[in-house]
Amino acid sequence: MSQLKALYEELGRTFYSKQCDLNKCTALLSKLKIGLIEAGLLLPQGNVNLGDLVVARDILEIGAFVSIRSRDVPSFDRYFAQLQTFYVDYSESLPASKREYAIRGLNLIRLLTQNRIADFHTTLESLDADVIAENPFIRHPVNLERWLMEGSYSKVWNAREEAPAEEYKFFVDSLMGTIRNEIASCEEAAYESLPLKDAATLLFFPNQSELLKFAQQRGWEVDLTGGTITFKRKSEEKIEIPKQRLISASLAYARELEQIV
Amino acid sequence: MPDVEMTTTEEKKPENKEEEQPAPQPISPAAEIKNNVALIERAVSTIEPRFTQRVLRTLTTLRKKLTAGVLRSAIESIFVKDNALKSSLLAWLPEASADEVSMEIDSTTKSGADNAKPIPEAEMYIRLLLIHFLLAEEDTQEKALELANETAEKMQALNRRSMDAIAAKIWFAVDRAYELAGEVADARPMFLAAQRTAALRHDDSAQAALLNCLLRSYVSNNLYDQAAKLVSKTTFPTSASNAQLSRYHYYLGRIRAVQLDYSGAHTHLQQAIRRAPPPKVAPGFYQAVNKMFVVVELLMGDIPDRSLFRHPVLEKALKAYFDIVKAVRTGSLSEFQTTFNTHAEQFEEDSTHTLILRLRQNVIKTGIRRLSLSYSRISLRDICVKLHLDSEEDAEYIVGKAIRDGVIDAKIVHDKGWMECGTQGGGYGPEVSEAFGKRIAFCLDLHNQSAMRYPLNAHRKELLAAEGAREREKELAKEIQDGDLDEDDLGPDF
Repeated sequence: MSQLKALYEELGRTFYSKQCDLNKCTALLSKLKIGLIEAGLLLPQGNVNLGDLVVARDILEIGAFVSIRSRDVPSFDRYFAQLQTFYVDYSESLPASKREYAIRGLNLIRLLTQNRIADFHTTLESLDADVIAENPFIRHPVNLERWLMEGSYSKVWNAREEAPAEEYKFFVDSLMGTIRNEIASCEEAAYESLPLKDAATLLFFPNQSELLKFAQQRGWEVDLTGGTITFKRKSEEKIEIPKQRLISASLAYARELEQIV
Repeated sequence: MPDVEMTTTEEKKPENKEEEQPAPQPISPAAEIKNNVALIERAVSTIEPRFTQRVLRTLTTLRKKLTAGVLRSAIESIFVKDNALKSSLLAWLPEASADEVSMEIDSTTKSGADNAKPIPEAEMYIRLLLIHFLLAEEDTQEKALELANETAEKMQALNRRSMDAIAAKIWFAVDRAYELAGEVADARPMFLAAQRTAALRHDDSAQAALLNCLLRSYVSNNLYDQAAKLVSKTTFPTSASNAQLSRYHYYLGRIRAVQLDYSGAHTHLQQAIRRAPPPKVAPGFYQAVNKMFVVVELLMGDIPDRSLFRHPVLEKALKAYFDIVKAVRTGSLSEFQTTFNTHAEQFEEDSTHTLILRLRQNVIKTGIRRLSLSYSRISLRDICVKLHLDSEEDAEYIVGKAIRDGVIDAKIVHDKGWMECGTQGGGYGPEVSEAFGKRIAFCLDLHNQSAMRYPLNAHRKELLAAEGAREREKELAKEIQDGDLDEDDLGPDF
């Protein structure tokens, strides 16, 4: 136990110092986790000393932040799952953690960037309505989701700098990737052609070369002399009659009718 | 939604009119209990669960008539001999006035003398009544919880198949006791263990009741993740009663709605409505299901029928939802927002709050669709003004998304800053057959599910009758033979 305490203090020092040494943190964390398991605190059961639980929670929270900073999302996922026990089952006996909502918010953003909207809503449902409306850490991902869903992409773009915590910015890049692809698919459907300059603004590209690279990825026809992008119209493709499906549907009706009579 | 659950399971539909013969004159509740116990005994001795079902069907009405005196005299008459069991049961009742007791006992003790040793099922039935009686009074609820725990323990130790139907009811009462005590979370491990046991014993009725109790406890604590996992790991017994199935579908519908699987939610809620007891019998449940149903329909982009909101049971309860439907229909964001704010409290109470918030995008989509239908060409600026959007830039993205999602058939001309709406499709594409297919599938499903039902073990009766006939035949043959013999024997003497 004393060894665990020394490690915990060292982790705190390393984590809160100006130049946070992520590698050292990770190494300390894996030692601490073994210690927690030995002390029966990683997945606490029954009556455990509350002070110990707070320490365990603190360690896991630091672990969650460290994994975000080192861009290790699966590891964040594991820490978050372990923290759930402390946030949900011990919510009444433990003093509330200051970082709880920051971590919950990060988890929501993570779900959003991975496009796991169903999980996003399931998780959101477990929070109180006033927390969703008031808490800045939660409100941020909730707003992002709403704007993404209704298509106000420019709001998402403008909100990227308004992240309530430093760690949120780690997700900005992948989020921007997501919305660019969204916008691109919308443009393909909605426009016949688009001037290069406007396309760059719509897709939030600062210069043309990035746009050209992106256009190449999506297979757009770029007319450099005229300065326009032309999209292939899907509707011009010949509509095929789904024979297979129609046949199987008719056969199913016949079978059902036979059963009735 | 406290009243919802109460009404759902307790409703009893008279499935078989013959069995529901009203007594010619009202019998006293104590006598009714005694009759019921006799019926349960008959059910156990003939292995015919039908009788137990009949007893349990009267539970709701009987429950309202329970008093300490009634229960006391019922126990006195059923347990004739003074033993530990009897006194332990009586100990749960508050002291009754002396004259009430003596008066009731006199009339019943003699007739009860024949069944000196009641079967465990009868004891469980009495315990069930006791729990319900204790739950009815606020200050005895703690005692009810204690009794419920003891009963659950005893019931599992007994492990009798003939007790399954009663056990299901007891589990529900246990859940109710925990809920009133505000300790639903604590009961979960016990219910999970009991559910496993019930599944292993093929105890369908208890399994159905337990699954619903668990789902209810998860959903009411907003633990949709766990609820979804429970659903995916278990199978709901097909032989469960309609009431249980209806509840199960309701919870499934709610889980699916949260997971954004709206068409799944729609099917489940529809099933729940179809299998629900008549609205007048269980109004709370009917209202709760329909509230969810309206929200899910809106989320799917449909507008619920106007007639739904005129239903006598629903009209008042669904007022807030009616307003939301109106706002979505007109596609006005500002109206939607004000409606939402005025009814926010009710939505929170119904826990449809977050679902309705998701409707925002549907409001925008409806608005755009209306515009695309009325104009052949409209500038993005006008769209922005009409839909109360924040900027023209937003309008462009939103319209683009609507086009991609297939909400409208249009295109944006960026240089001119307007949206050109395409002509409506002729309505002869493959999607028509798809729409037809969906409707046909629905009708067929309805037909298949409402097909004739046969009472469980009905064939056994026929078998029994046939066996009886054969027996009689044999006897007759034997008698004839005997008769013959007799005549033969006697013959020479005459």
